[in-house]
Amino acid sequence: MSFTPIWGVPIALYLFLAGLGGGAFVTAYCLRRTAPGQAESTRRFAHYAAFIVVCIGLAMLMLDAKAGFFHPQRFFLLLTNFGSWMTWGVVFLVLFTLADFIVCILDLTKHKTPEWLEVFGVIFGLLVAVYTGALLATPHAFPLWNSAALPILFLVSAMSTGAALVIGFAAIKRPEEFKAMEWVSDAHYWLPIAELVLVFFLMWVTYHNGEAGANSVLVLMVGQYALAFWLGFIIIGLVLPLIIESVGRFGKKESRGMTACADVCVIIGGYLLRWLIIVAALPVTLVVPAMF
Amino acid sequence: MARYGMLIDTTKCIGCFTCRTACQRQNGLLDDEAFIRFETRESGKYPNVHVETVPLQCMHCDDAPCAQVCPTGAAHMGEDGIVQVDQDRCIGCLYCMAACPYQVRVRNSKTGSVDKCRFCTVSAYTSGTKMCTCVEACLTGARTFGDLDDPDSEISKKIAETGAAPIAPGLSKPKIYYVR
Repeated sequence: MSFTPIWGVPIALYLFLAGLGGGAFVTAYCLRRTAPGQAESTRRFAHYAAFIVVCIGLAMLMLDAKAGFFHPQRFFLLLTNFGSWMTWGVVFLVLFTLADFIVCILDLTKHKTPEWLEVFGVIFGLLVAVYTGALLATPHAFPLWNSAALPILFLVSAMSTGAALVIGFAAIKRPEEFKAMEWVSDAHYWLPIAELVLVFFLMWVTYHNGEAGANSVLVLMVGQYALAFWLGFIIIGLVLPLIIESVGRFGKKESRGMTACADVCVIIGGYLLRWLIIVAALPVTLVVPAMF
Repeated sequence: MARYGMLIDTTKCIGCFTCRTACQRQNGLLDDEAFIRFETRESGKYPNVHVETVPLQCMHCDDAPCAQVCPTGAAHMGEDGIVQVDQDRCIGCLYCMAACPYQVRVRNSKTGSVDKCRFCTVSAYTSGTKMCTCVEACLTGARTFGDLDDPDSEISKKIAETGAAPIAPGLSKPKIYYVR
């Protein structure tokens, strides 16, 4: 039996952009705590970027939800079922976007953002990032999704891509601020390692979770998505940034150009992770195993 | 109150797809919108081969996973245990399609909403009219519809006789039983 994935590129982009926005906002707050007053224009960029990418993601979501797109008043019904992660996701997204919007206005009008508002944004930014994984982890018919590792993996990836966007911006545009961002850069260095560990265990456990689980993993590792998985996600998205950053750290002096390259790789990897997880998941076997 | 269910005897199914066509005609569905899908399994070795065709459709689960995840309440448990989709509430997020363990929900390519088997046979029961449903259309009488809570109903007797069971264990609490 052949299986057509339920969602495609628009939803993969949405999951990626929602995480990217949340991650960028959290990174901005980390900069406030670890480099007070030393990276203000980078912080402002992070707030604006988070708002823009989350809004693009939401536009993708609405376009993909065709019946809602034709009847926009139905989107208000999204707050009906609080047993659904989709409903909670709407709550998290609205509160996060609202907080970020106010922060952006304060930035634009050159006012200082109160810390409580930023903490509020951080909490909902983290919740947005983790919900994108929890949403997929709920349906029990897809072993690749139905895993406790998935929300954590998406959260780590969201923080990694968000930090990459902010660090990459500083490396290219704000060299003087980039120097003050050591704590964030250090933290960011370890995230791809955490992701590799999480991906390994997600694949391992899913492979041993019935025919559908095994087939989903095989489709990624040796099947139709093997190139995107190994070259795109594992090598370009995780291993290459690690090598580049390690060379910078433990070898000669870190170059800003190389850091920016590593950050672009991380962002590409972040998108590919969402896309691969969406398209490679196969449903449990009823009569014959699902294949592509 | 009745609790409607269906029994499908795959040992009688010849894979003619008449049920699907009858359903599409009955419900005025689009060409690419089918509430019944089929899986075919071949087993054995030549010359002793066996082909099994299994029609699959909404199982009207008592614990409907689709209704649990539907954010707008479009997918819900209606009267007589029939899972319904309120077409005017559906935004087409497709979350129910991901949650359904049987992959029997389809998106209407025109409206963007999700739809699925409505157990329309129930109206034949309540109004007494004979109509062209999957049950009536089946050439070999592979389908039986009725009240699962009534021990004297034809379906309850057949389930007891044949030992019919849900298509796969542990996925949900479905109301379609299969003889295989």
